[in-house]
Amino acid sequence: MKSRFHLRILWPFILILVASLAALALLLPLVQGSVFQQAAETGKQANYAPLFALVFLILAIGLIFGLLINIYYTNQHLNVLEDLTDAAKELGEGRFTEIVVPEDVGNLPEIQELAEALQKTALQTEEQFNALTKEQAMLSAVLDHMTDGVLIADENGKVQLLNSAAERLFKVENEQAIGRSVVEVMRHYSLVELWEKTKNGNPETINMELGSAHKYLQVVGISLEKDLPGRTMLLFQDLTQTHQLEIVRRDFVSNISHELRTPIAGLKAISETLLDGALDDPPAARKFLVHMDNEVDNLTQMVNELLELSRIEAGRSNFEFQRIEPCLLIHKAYDRMNLQAEKAGVVLTEDCPDGLPPVLADPVRISQVFINLIHNAIKFTPNGGHIRLTAWRDDSKVVFLVQDDGVGVAKKDLKRIFERFYKADRARSGGGTGLGLSICRHIVEAHGGQIWVESEENAGSQFFFTVPATAGGNIA
Amino acid sequence: MSRFTLDQEIRLVQDEILLEGSLVEQAILNSVDALQRRDSVAARRVYNNDRKINAKHHAIENHILITFATQSPLASDLRFLAAMLEVNTELERIGDYAKGIAKVAMRLADSDYAIPIREIQQMADLATSMLHRSLGAFVAGDTVAAHSIPEEDNQVDELYESIYRKIVEGMIKNPDTIDLGNQVVWVIHNLERTADRVTNICERVVFIVSGESVEFDVTDDEQIDEE
Repeated sequence: MKSRFHLRILWPFILILVASLAALALLLPLVQGSVFQQAAETGKQANYAPLFALVFLILAIGLIFGLLINIYYTNQHLNVLEDLTDAAKELGEGRFTEIVVPEDVGNLPEIQELAEALQKTALQTEEQFNALTKEQAMLSAVLDHMTDGVLIADENGKVQLLNSAAERLFKVENEQAIGRSVVEVMRHYSLVELWEKTKNGNPETINMELGSAHKYLQVVGISLEKDLPGRTMLLFQDLTQTHQLEIVRRDFVSNISHELRTPIAGLKAISETLLDGALDDPPAARKFLVHMDNEVDNLTQMVNELLELSRIEAGRSNFEFQRIEPCLLIHKAYDRMNLQAEKAGVVLTEDCPDGLPPVLADPVRISQVFINLIHNAIKFTPNGGHIRLTAWRDDSKVVFLVQDDGVGVAKKDLKRIFERFYKADRARSGGGTGLGLSICRHIVEAHGGQIWVESEENAGSQFFFTVPATAGGNIA
Repeated sequence: MSRFTLDQEIRLVQDEILLEGSLVEQAILNSVDALQRRDSVAARRVYNNDRKINAKHHAIENHILITFATQSPLASDLRFLAAMLEVNTELERIGDYAKGIAKVAMRLADSDYAIPIREIQQMADLATSMLHRSLGAFVAGDTVAAHSIPEEDNQVDELYESIYRKIVEGMIKNPDTIDLGNQVVWVIHNLERTADRVTNICERVVFIVSGESVEFDVTDDEQIDEE
């Protein structure tokens, strides 16, 4: 600390001194004169007492003035200093807006400077503080809205930061997790191993499955040594959905390969037979060609259905919705399929009640749903069976039903028959592609409806689907 | 010895227990997964990994005994350490169950025996989820969870019953499946026992917090397993 002596503080004293001396110089001759005059008149020794009294008096007055001035100034400055101290304290407590730096700080330039400096510091600190707060808010907003989990642990393996995605992942709450060990929070040895490995080393990535919730995670461990000594960050990416899609895709590819192989193998066998000499036997050759034609039809149907399915799934298929009577839809389907049913020895009946509200539907697509469902029903209903088409109103929608008394669907297959390529009974469904019901589901869902099945083995099946009714009454 | 060191030691042991728990939990899930995928390599991996669990079991046991010897814990600390000694053993046993399932998975890898795998997976998920939460309740001293988790044991028992019946029906219809069916019964038995061990862990939670030894109602007969 610099130790300096400010001459300026002597000014009041010099002033008083000069004033005292001046007073002395002014009054002394008068007193002196009267003292000596008296002495000359009385002839006695001069009495110096009044002289001394005068000097003392002036000195005492000077001293008192000096003290008063000193007290006044010191007090004023102390007041200002106290105010400044209060302001500094408030600054320390972070109450920037409440800081009052006294305006009147007296005439000492040092204190003025101090006050100005304090004022400036308050302003700057407030700015910096606000900037930091904003940045922190921004960072924590980013962290909390990230879909990836973030966890930061210190060198002792205690959790220091956990964002909300990570909270959800490990089913913990921030307050409970902070300060706890990584084992306690994450509860998985692979993650603890990853933390230990990356703590002092290179970044590392692992793929893992998280416990009985079967979540598939990709976890990256990164040491933050450079910026935050001892800290390690773990980033969690939830790949569960991707993983499941991957499985669906794999199943799909394996199914489609299988489905395509069967007709192609058939074609190959027939063409080989033809090449091996069957060609020279025209009646046999003709039979084989009819077979080939059938197989090609099957293939074409499958490829068309696949294309149709992918179009509907991608939402690219154009639907032309219009207000239409439900009974009209049923009647069209009946007309188209009646002959086929008769051929198979199955009785197809339509039974549509009056007074149903019109629905908003694409008639071509809905008749495709009916055809697929009736086609299935014919296939799985033995000779002499019955298929009934009906509909009724349920709240704001119309429920359509295709009911048969055929072989039914086994309980284990019920959930899956709407999946692509799923065939409940491979032996019986033979020629089908396994795509029909999948297409039905997509068409119904594109209408904003639902499709489901109720069935009992050997007692028949009931396929239901709904189409939203249009507002307003019947079509006139 | 200072209080600080005892606390530190207890926390270290606790973390080790949780780590062992996670190894065991994953071993059960992996063994059932290997069974589902008929993957003998994965099954063998689970089988061999049991050594890791056993090593952990011994390390924890040593750690706890050394803490007893050097820190002379009292009251709740003593209860907690003693309970961890017991939980440690329960976890090691569950690890053995996983090993048992892995062994069956190896035997069944090349067979085409129809395993009721969905139900078994459901059972494994339930049992490991109970295990996971019971250890969470253990370190948190959460007696509410400790009382509610054993109630889920009924669901495990129900699954056991339904799978068991299914397997036995299969055996009656087709006696060729008796051998492999029996193997699968071992799998579900091990999963059922896992859930029972979880109940024991929950009993320890109540012991730590209140000092009372409770017995949660476990429906099956404990003696059968101890012969």
